[in-house]
Amino acid sequence: MEKKGRADSRRSDRPEQVVAAELKEKRDAFLQTFFKRGAELTDELLGENGRLREKLARLETENATLKTQLASDNAIRDLLRKIEELEREKARLLSNVHEQEEISNRFTEIEAELESFANLYVASFQLHSTLGVRAVVRNVKELLGQLVGVQSLAIYFVDDGQRRLFPIASDGVDLDTLPSIGIGYEETRRGGGPPLDPASAVIERTYLTGVPHIAEGEMLASPQACIPLQFGDRAVGTIVVYSLLEQKKRFITVDRELFKLVGAHAGGTLVAAHYWGLADGRLPAAQSLRDACA
Amino acid sequence: MNAQYSCLVVEDSPMMRQLLVLALSRLKSVHVTEADDGVDGLRKLAAGKFDIIMTDINMPIMDGLKLVKRVRSDPTHKDVPIIVITTEGSSEDRQRALQLGANAYITKPIQAPQVIAKVKELLKIDT
Repeated sequence: MEKKGRADSRRSDRPEQVVAAELKEKRDAFLQTFFKRGAELTDELLGENGRLREKLARLETENATLKTQLASDNAIRDLLRKIEELEREKARLLSNVHEQEEISNRFTEIEAELESFANLYVASFQLHSTLGVRAVVRNVKELLGQLVGVQSLAIYFVDDGQRRLFPIASDGVDLDTLPSIGIGYEETRRGGGPPLDPASAVIERTYLTGVPHIAEGEMLASPQACIPLQFGDRAVGTIVVYSLLEQKKRFITVDRELFKLVGAHAGGTLVAAHYWGLADGRLPAAQSLRDACA
Repeated sequence: MNAQYSCLVVEDSPMMRQLLVLALSRLKSVHVTEADDGVDGLRKLAAGKFDIIMTDINMPIMDGLKLVKRVRSDPTHKDVPIIVITTEGSSEDRQRALQLGANAYITKPIQAPQVIAKVKELLKIDT
């Protein structure tokens, strides 16, 4: 109560006009400060707004970029998936192709084997289909001509008494021009006497060793082949192949098999045919066969 | 499968005939009849119906060329396909056979796949 009374007494001490002026001055300063601050705040807000707009624009751009990237990533993922699928399909198809190739190769092999078996069957059948010497020789010639592609050949047969090999039949070469060949001549001449011509040397060696002579690769020197004719365990002659048909360039596996078959069967068939001819086609007596079997 | 087609093989060599029959036996739809030469071939043609003829050229009594000529002049068989079998060097015979009306030729030494392919082609067999 006492303090309030003192203040009232001070205010009252100053002139009213001064107080009003002071108040006005204070009000003006306040207003000035207020508006200045307001202006600054407005500036700050405008600046902040500008920055936010920029940031928004940047974020929108970024967003658009990210969206594009996402779409692009999806597309890449789809493509990768597609590539994987195609790779799997390719692998499957390649596997099928390999399988088909294998089947095809096997089919070709089987075809070739069938062809070989058919030829060997026919050769064997034909060699034993007759008991006439002439027919046997014709079959041998035809067989080698048709199945192997032989153009010229000769069949040599041994004469035990004379120890010589004699040409007994030929095809594509004149029989009378073919020499007989002394067995063991090469060994006994011992530097004396002329050597055997190459073909005769091959024929003699084949007869003595029982080892077939069959040219390898491209055909060059004659004879192209010389096959021992076996009758049981012993050699009875040779078949000499001098030349082949033009289209026949080299021997193949089935030719060697045919040579083996002909060499093993033709000698015996010839001998049997000869004795059958001498017997004038008469069958042996049953009793004599029975005795032979005992 | 029962044979649907009938083939006449005319060949004087028993070995060649056997080879041809063996090759053709792989075609289950083809039945084969054999003839020793051209005359025998004509006889068998007259007695039956054939869808194809396969003939050698060099044969005794009647050769393959005469056979082709006779078949083509016969109204009953003039359209039957004919395959001639020739040797590598006999291009003249081959040409002559084709001029006379043969449809195709096979060269000796014969190979089964070649025989089968020609027969299938002329008989229009798919498999």
